[in-house]
Amino acid sequence: MANAWKIARRSNAQFPLVIVIALAIVLVLLGRAQSGLFDRARVQVTDWMAPVLEKVRAPVQGFDRWIGSIGDIFSVYQENLRLKDENARLRQWRNVAVVLQGRVGRYQAMLHAVPDPKMNAVLARVIGRASRPFLQTMILDAGRSSHVAPGQAVVDPRGMIGRVYLAGERTSWVILLSDLNSRIPVTIAPGNVQAIMSGDNTATPVLEMVSRLVTLHPGDQVTSSGDGGLLPAGLPIGTVMSDGKGGWRVALLADAASSQDVEILNFAKPPEAPPATAQLPAEAAGLKPQPPLPPASSGTATPAISAKPSTPSSAPAPATAAPPQPDAGAAAGEPADVDR
Amino acid sequence: MWTASAMATLERPRPTTSLRYLVALVPLLCGLVAVFITNIPVSILGGLVPPPLLGLVPVYFWCLVRPDLMTPAAAFAIGLAEDILSGGPPGVWTLAFVLTYTVVARQRDSFAGLGGAAAVVGFAAVAAFACAVAWLAVAFLALLSPGATRWPLLAPILSELAMTVLFYVPTAMVTGWVHHRIVGPMRSDI
Repeated sequence: MANAWKIARRSNAQFPLVIVIALAIVLVLLGRAQSGLFDRARVQVTDWMAPVLEKVRAPVQGFDRWIGSIGDIFSVYQENLRLKDENARLRQWRNVAVVLQGRVGRYQAMLHAVPDPKMNAVLARVIGRASRPFLQTMILDAGRSSHVAPGQAVVDPRGMIGRVYLAGERTSWVILLSDLNSRIPVTIAPGNVQAIMSGDNTATPVLEMVSRLVTLHPGDQVTSSGDGGLLPAGLPIGTVMSDGKGGWRVALLADAASSQDVEILNFAKPPEAPPATAQLPAEAAGLKPQPPLPPASSGTATPAISAKPSTPSSAPAPATAAPPQPDAGAAAGEPADVDR
Repeated sequence: MWTASAMATLERPRPTTSLRYLVALVPLLCGLVAVFITNIPVSILGGLVPPPLLGLVPVYFWCLVRPDLMTPAAAFAIGLAEDILSGGPPGVWTLAFVLTYTVVARQRDSFAGLGGAAAVVGFAAVAAFACAVAWLAVAFLALLSPGATRWPLLAPILSELAMTVLFYVPTAMVTGWVHHRIVGPMRSDI
């Protein structure tokens, strides 16, 4: 073969190499500034490939699961013991959560707290995955025709997986939380610590911008903070873990490699109008002096409170006129947390 | 009898001009098909390893065997397809493929003289160069991004390099078969 290669022809390329190299460099810089052209091409290709991918998906999925479970065979017994222990503790926590959920619901009704924004969800199927050196993504079989738009959060029953970054007509690309380009604001509980979670193409994203004054502990819960209004607040993401070098990482709850059906959350936060002075919860609760009002409207602030359009209909009517309770002052400050 | 057979071989009908031009596109089409196969977003091994850069094999092979058919523009097109389908930063693989083509074309005699295991080592060196260019381009783009604090990890690109070298032999066999069965007979008179 070597001899055959030696007698082969020399190149008579029409395009000089220098021009092609220059074009490639321009493409890199242009792609950074104007990536829309590439994005449109990608979604058109995946739209076109979607039927094929759905056909291929079934047999590959079985093989994929079999390969992925090979490592688990050797730890089944230990895993079973750990899960039983965890299940017992979760049952206890479930009872606590049910009681607290009912209590929170009553408090919200009493305070006329602004309810969480409604979220519509689109159920989608994972029809493709790509784990490339510079991109970790999955492709879903729902696109603009299902009202999927870039920026929407993608979750599975365990927690958040990522967010949509390209939406075609029938398919959409999801950037995973572990991807190098993923950065989302998160809240760490307990303590309500704010941080940025950044992917670095490993299975455990990094927690950045954590204040030095804050002490985190392994096992602390990480949820989306909702800052910026791009993602809904409170989506479960994972738990804090130490990286062994003084930093912190997040062990994700969701396993993007095994998720087959996911939900795309359509989080459309309505624009929030600044409340009038008399509508502020603290003043409405009578904890601050009321500004002087004209006689025609010199009544209490109660009508202003009950005029909130998003007040749950199940709110007990007497509560609007109830005198402030001793713990209402603390509770009156809660809407800032509740209003997400 | 023997003479008649030999004469028939010598007087084999020449392919038509349009067919010969079509065959000249086979190296480019092979590269595009390899890129397409590589980037089918189906995970066979649960995402444990990245897919190989199969598109680099036709570029390397025909750049050595028939550089008149694998032009810089063809390498550019194959890299561009890799960029579009892989979903990474635009232009990274285009630049990597074109620069790799340049290196292979300049050192053609050295690479063409390799055989057996040395040929695999030669391709591994070329693939390592392509991966290094891609990694440096991504690192450069990351530096331009506001708030970037980390370099891209080396482990994923090294995994891709390993997979590319692992799949070189079967891909080169298919490429060689296409060359000897289709491209060679149709374009041997040029």
